[in-house]
Amino acid sequence: MLLPPNREILQIIFLSLAVSGAATVLAALAAIPAALVLALREFRGKRFLVGLVNTAMSVPAVLIGLLVYGGVSRRGPLGALGLLFTPGAMVLAQALLAFPIITALALAALKGIARDSRDLALSLGANRRQLALAVIRQGRFAFLTALIAGFSRVIGETGMTLMVGGNIKGHTRVLTTAISLETMKGNFEIGIALGIVLLLAALTITIALQWAQGK
Amino acid sequence: MDIRVDGLEQAAGGKLILDQVSLEFSAGAVNAILGANGAGKSTLLRLLGLLDKPRRGEIYYDGFSLSVLRRRQRTALRRRIGFVFQTPLLLSGTVEANLLYGPRLRGVRPAGPALEQVLAVTGLQGKRTQNAQQLSGGEKQRLQLARVMLLDPELYLLDEPTANLDPLSVKNIENAIIRLARAGKTIILATHNLVQARLLDARVAFLKAGRLVQAGPAADVLNRPLSLDIAEFSAAENIVSGTLARHGEHTELRCGTLAIEVVSERSQGTAAAVIRPEDIVVSKGPISSSARNCFRGSIVALTDLGLITSLRIDCSGVLFTVFVTRISCTEMNLAAGMDVTLTFKATSVHLLFQE
Repeated sequence: MLLPPNREILQIIFLSLAVSGAATVLAALAAIPAALVLALREFRGKRFLVGLVNTAMSVPAVLIGLLVYGGVSRRGPLGALGLLFTPGAMVLAQALLAFPIITALALAALKGIARDSRDLALSLGANRRQLALAVIRQGRFAFLTALIAGFSRVIGETGMTLMVGGNIKGHTRVLTTAISLETMKGNFEIGIALGIVLLLAALTITIALQWAQGK
Repeated sequence: MDIRVDGLEQAAGGKLILDQVSLEFSAGAVNAILGANGAGKSTLLRLLGLLDKPRRGEIYYDGFSLSVLRRRQRTALRRRIGFVFQTPLLLSGTVEANLLYGPRLRGVRPAGPALEQVLAVTGLQGKRTQNAQQLSGGEKQRLQLARVMLLDPELYLLDEPTANLDPLSVKNIENAIIRLARAGKTIILATHNLVQARLLDARVAFLKAGRLVQAGPAADVLNRPLSLDIAEFSAAENIVSGTLARHGEHTELRCGTLAIEVVSERSQGTAAAVIRPEDIVVSKGPISSSARNCFRGSIVALTDLGLITSLRIDCSGVLFTVFVTRISCTEMNLAAGMDVTLTFKATSVHLLFQE
């Protein structure tokens, strides 16, 4: 029923991947340095921060949606940017959702390897930049695993994305919100077909990342 | 490199691991940090290697204090120090890739012969293209040493470099250490083994629960331990506990029915005596000697150690370990169950008091 795929479907798939991809990358840009600092440095309040990150993983997405909605709505602190019901707001919300997941998973995986690769590089005379590169190099698989988990989480997110994106046809409609809408309209078959597309899209990205990991 | 530490303190998880350690290491010589597991040996080495920051205290390298160094200077200092970890830390990849990691971080390319040379010194010749992860435990440890030697640092920090290794690897590493010390390098190693420290002609610092309890040449620490812990740690063969008492003009240590004459300022209270086996003379009958202690006992066991034979002798319930050469053992026809005489001087008895 979706074959041949029409323009609208392709656009929805593309937006889903673009929004979730951008959100994952944005979250990772903050999460990976955060995980590195938490794994390598000793400082006051570190245990509290690690606990906070782990707890943040279980914050319901809808609460993050609420927070972002309040932030970007016209009267919110970011209201001037006019982000509400745009892909930008969706990226922001999804990035917030992915951040603790990527941080916590990268940190857990780094725990065993970060100290050793730090010790080795430092003892052989690495400077600060070389040290960071050495640890990142050793941790690259850990980071990829964390990225996969973060991406999987956000691409399947519905309620929050609907709240801040609005499911506007041709503008902010992504696979999950489309499935939700079609099912509620009674177009059960289209819902299932879109669900399969979503599954395939998520699997393709995940398999591609895993393949990169195996190399 | 001249190294001195002053009031060094380190803690982890609210527990003090190093407690006010002040110590001077000999430059161009072998220094050994001794102590049981958890005494703080590795922690001290990590601080010396600038891998961790001390909570309190100061380290001086050639007179320069660590705390005033900037990041760049700390990196420069670290490049004059080689660290060999207790659990080998190796990159996945070949032996050669591991050797070249240090030079790569410094942006230099070592000459081919230098590589072959450090491999030969550590007994790893021909292993250059092998996968480092597939080496044996002893080879991995030697590769760590080779990797550091290639960088030719002034200071070597070795964390139990011969723990759990086969005898050949131990020999090889010990020889390499002796050679480095001869070449004027400063070596600081953590070890459990006081005998090894003596073999390496090391200056010894003995740590217990993070505190420095005795420092000095290994031979002195072996012969004159300052505490029972150290005596037991150094596997002292004869440790006899008893009570001190006056006997005429002399002082003796009474242990059951055995009374050992000692030289001591104290004449009462409990004490432990350490008597080195090499200070005890074994004979079939009494010998004429100025030595004040002379006991009859029966041989419980003989252990052939090659050149020498170790005897366990029961003197009125106290077990002594003594050494005789294999030849005199044969000449005297010594066998289990035989009665012999033990003779040693009062001055050979080293007394320890429990505080």
